[in-house]
Amino acid sequence: MLNLTANNIFKNFGGLEVLKDVSFTVEGPELIGLIGPNGAGKTTLTNILDGALKPSSGTVYMNGERIDTRPPYGVARAGLGRTFQVTRAFRRMTVLENLLIPAMAMRATARQRDFEKKAQDVLEFLTIAHLRNEYARALSGGQQKLLELGRLLMLDPQMIILDEPFAGVHPRLMEVIYRYITETNAQGKAFIIISHDMDTIFTLSRRLLVLNYGDLIADGDPAVVREDPLVKAAYLGEDEE
Amino acid sequence: MNPTALFRVAGAAAVVILLLIPLASSELGGLGPLVLSGYVMHLAITAFFYAILASSWSLLAGYAGQFSFGHMAFMAIGGYTSGLIGKFIRFTTAPSELCTDIPLFGSWWLVVLNIRRVGTIDESCLDMAKTETLPAGTLIVFPPVWASIAMGLVMGATFGLLVGWLVLRLRSTYLALFTIGFSEILRASISAEIPITEGQSGLELVPLFPAGLLGFSSTSKIPPYYAMLLLFLVAMAMMTWLAGSRFGLFIRAIREDEEAAAALGVNIVRYKVLVFVITSTLAAAAGALQGHYIGIITPNTLIILQMSLVIAMAVIGGLENIYTASVGAIVITFMLELLRTNITIGPLHIDMTLWRLVFFGLLLMLTLRFQRNGLLYPILERISRGGVAAETVSIRAAPDEDEVDVEDEEHPPSGPDENADAEAVNDHAESDR
Amino acid sequence: MENAAIFGWALLWIICWGALGGVVTPRIYARKDLEISQASFGGAVIGAALGPFSLLPLWVATPKITNRLIGIAIAIVVGIFIAAFALADPDNLCVANGGFVISQLANGIVIGIIYGLMALGLTLIFSILGVVSFAHGEFYMIGGMVTYFISAKWLPGVSPLVAILASCIVTFAIGYLFERIFLRPMGSGEIERPTEYAILVTFGLAFFLQYFTQALTSAVPVKAQRFFPFPRAELPADSGALLKMTPGNVTIFDAVSIPNPRFTAAVLALLMLAALLWFLYRTWVGKALRAVSQDRQAAAVTGINPDSMNSLAFSMGAMLAGLSGASLVQVFSWLPQVGIPAAARSFVIIVLGGMGSLPGAFLGGLIVGLVEAAGTGCIPDATRAAAYIPAYGMVILTLVLLLKPTGLFGREL
Ligand SMILES: Nc1ncnc2c1ncn2[C@@H]1O[C@H](COP(=O)(O)OP(=O)(O)OP(=O)(O)O)[C@@H](O)[C@H]1O
Ligand SMILES: [Mg+2]
Repeated sequence: MLNLTANNIFKNFGGLEVLKDVSFTVEGPELIGLIGPNGAGKTTLTNILDGALKPSSGTVYMNGERIDTRPPYGVARAGLGRTFQVTRAFRRMTVLENLLIPAMAMRATARQRDFEKKAQDVLEFLTIAHLRNEYARALSGGQQKLLELGRLLMLDPQMIILDEPFAGVHPRLMEVIYRYITETNAQGKAFIIISHDMDTIFTLSRRLLVLNYGDLIADGDPAVVREDPLVKAAYLGEDEE
Repeated sequence: MNPTALFRVAGAAAVVILLLIPLASSELGGLGPLVLSGYVMHLAITAFFYAILASSWSLLAGYAGQFSFGHMAFMAIGGYTSGLIGKFIRFTTAPSELCTDIPLFGSWWLVVLNIRRVGTIDESCLDMAKTETLPAGTLIVFPPVWASIAMGLVMGATFGLLVGWLVLRLRSTYLALFTIGFSEILRASISAEIPITEGQSGLELVPLFPAGLLGFSSTSKIPPYYAMLLLFLVAMAMMTWLAGSRFGLFIRAIREDEEAAAALGVNIVRYKVLVFVITSTLAAAAGALQGHYIGIITPNTLIILQMSLVIAMAVIGGLENIYTASVGAIVITFMLELLRTNITIGPLHIDMTLWRLVFFGLLLMLTLRFQRNGLLYPILERISRGGVAAETVSIRAAPDEDEVDVEDEEHPPSGPDENADAEAVNDHAESDR
Repeated sequence: MENAAIFGWALLWIICWGALGGVVTPRIYARKDLEISQASFGGAVIGAALGPFSLLPLWVATPKITNRLIGIAIAIVVGIFIAAFALADPDNLCVANGGFVISQLANGIVIGIIYGLMALGLTLIFSILGVVSFAHGEFYMIGGMVTYFISAKWLPGVSPLVAILASCIVTFAIGYLFERIFLRPMGSGEIERPTEYAILVTFGLAFFLQYFTQALTSAVPVKAQRFFPFPRAELPADSGALLKMTPGNVTIFDAVSIPNPRFTAAVLALLMLAALLWFLYRTWVGKALRAVSQDRQAAAVTGINPDSMNSLAFSMGAMLAGLSGASLVQVFSWLPQVGIPAAARSFVIIVLGGMGSLPGAFLGGLIVGLVEAAGTGCIPDATRAAAYIPAYGMVILTLVLLLKPTGLFGREL
């Protein structure tokens, strides 16, 4: 059973306090939304969970093992996958190669052809199977987003953090991503989804974290969080009405 | 013919031709009208030498994205290690007493000679020992060339490991500056430590085959030709295998985006260091072999212009493929020789030995600007990937792939057999955990 | 050296404790959840300074590593270094002869000013285009060549100023053309992976310019006459105790002696520096240039055309290198290859000063000039010392890159 615990995370950049005492726990295949205004520290939090940044203080445990001291690839191997806010496909590699990388990286003795079938399945699931031999740079922005999601399926982590998966995508692509999240979640993977798209995040997530300039001001059922006066004042108020 | 088969046939044909070329050399009487002089054989050996350097640099820079200017330094490390072992190490059957003696198995001793100061008449301790301490009949054996070359590889790998580890955090421009610094420090040290390295006058190395080989004399071009060809082929085979395996996949991912690769579980530290170790070992091997073949190595092999030559070869051929880089190196080595003929047009006398390099530099810049992937790579790309666009279009046009059915939440995108695939995804996901 | 061992041991002491401090300190700071951006560098210099006597208190108390702390530590390291040297070789001119030391210092500063000017060009290019020009040394070489050929071959007798001006024009023009043809497309996204491209293409330019010059001029070393010989003078008139000038030399206080070519070169460099500062801080174009170096997008929004700023910065950078070459062609003998060590020195200087920092480049130039003067003047085994001179700078370069890639004044990477 997945357990991810972040304890009292602080992060400073020079003098700027970007995260202030952020603690939360993820248990089992939860589907969590993470919202907050621009510059609230969402991406920074992701980077800390993923090992790309070290917290100024605080710890992160995954299934009882401390992961904040590990490099990002160690965290990925421990079972945490993430996407980037700005899509980061391996542009001069084919779509298929993009997918093979995480699969190969996870298993030291595997060979490429062991995963070709799985990669094909993932591509078909994401509706980009016809592009498998194209270079990733030839893909449209939305297709590159799908490719990033596909890489995570190949990595097969226990928990996935998506940094703004819905930004700049057409409604039709949105459906694909939506389905990706719900189906993958149903298979037992936990999700943290960062988004500025309130409607989607409220319908999709079953738990909501709200960051406001470094403070975790709410954590709970979306319907409850929505009514929280603190959240209203800090965030939703200025965004919705 | 499909591209893979085409490449295999072309590769096999090239190997056969390269193996047969010595038959046409003047030493063996030539093949009918085709008689290759010793000079042409020498060029061929040099071309293989540069091909190994250019292709291994392409693995480092083109595949892994590590634009190091220290490649020639590793080459020199190979050559100097092998040369210094030949200069300072002997095996004897009795202790010399005057040099540093290290006992080996049986009655054999490893003797390290003394460093003789410049401008004095210090004698070699072994020469003195011969007249003073060594019993008559003592065997004095030079270290075998293959062993000193092997030590050159070990040193190349060690320095590759060190540099690879030191530059882990440095990106692009900083890496370039660091490696230039490394290679300049090495060059200055070699030039300065004259008692050890002979400085600018160059360190002499014993011939590759001191006693000749199979009836060929030690000055014959044919054994070195095969030796360098063998190294070239082995290097290419090894790099082909590496590039096609997980190693190649990961280093290219690191070139594209280090952070993203790490987030997907790629041990970037290991692979970055590894690519330095492998490519520096290859460079060291080429350097050691070439050093023994030429018979001398000087610190001038380390100057930045030598490095630019290798870079230019790789870039003009095509940096992102070890084959185009090596073919580029071979072609350019021969081209540079062909262009040596001076031109006289009326009163205008053009000394091509100088101007050819000017044109070459211009070609390098223009290639970078207008044919970024090199002059040969696009051809290769067209052959191997010509079908991709058509394939993409044809799959897309196939009826069962055409429509993404967004209304239907239950079913994955298309056609009946897609369902099974979607389940297969689930299966994998389940079983892999 | 008589007691070389003392010096060797001191060096070993510095290196070992420095390495230990550099490796261990960040770990300790990380374990205590403290800021570690300075810990590696600070630990290294503090360890190098007093070894265990400074490292233990540092590790126990873990104070914030300030620039002041680092500065003190560096001063101690340099002090130990000098003291060890003096003990090891008490008869060395650098230890025994105060006049010689001051002379060396003065010469180091004089040559450092010119190095600084050349490095300023490189750092100017970097701060605007984000590109390190690997052809910088070739502009320096061409500046010298043009000056030599005009003043000695083509127009003998013409004022050296004309020749220098011509070399500025030539290097500016080459820089401009190159930027327009090869670097301009980077801005428009036409070129993929611009950083790698810039490294390789400037490298290609260096290769081209060097062989081009060699093809035109052949490889015989040349050297220009003194541009502006001093008048003969003595102050006070009979003894010359305060100031003595001959056409080739000036001696102050009977002790500090500076050769004329270096002196004029430094004066030229200072004039150019003043002009550059005036241009950057007082003219509209200069202000625009600085605005672009600080924030490209913001500057573009205010109506500055970043493309033309790129051209200007690159050609001015090239011209500064050319000017350094032009003023030094009367000091050193000149070959098509002279640019290589000069460029290497500029790399050292800008990395040391912090990439893109103008004051850093100037200060770095002075430091490197002083270090080289000390290196040539103080090391007993002269041939060996000469062979190692390019290496000293490179050791500085590699150390800075490993320990403090931002240099003295660099911005955060
Ligand atoms: N490497 C860094 N150095 C300095 N400051 C940083 C760094 N990374 C982020 N910051 C600052 O930290 C704050 C939080 O940034 P972060 O990217 O986490 O915000 P975010 O919640 O993801 O915002 P958005 O919704 O716009 O993506 C911002 O003020 C940003 O300027
Ligand atoms: Mg963000």
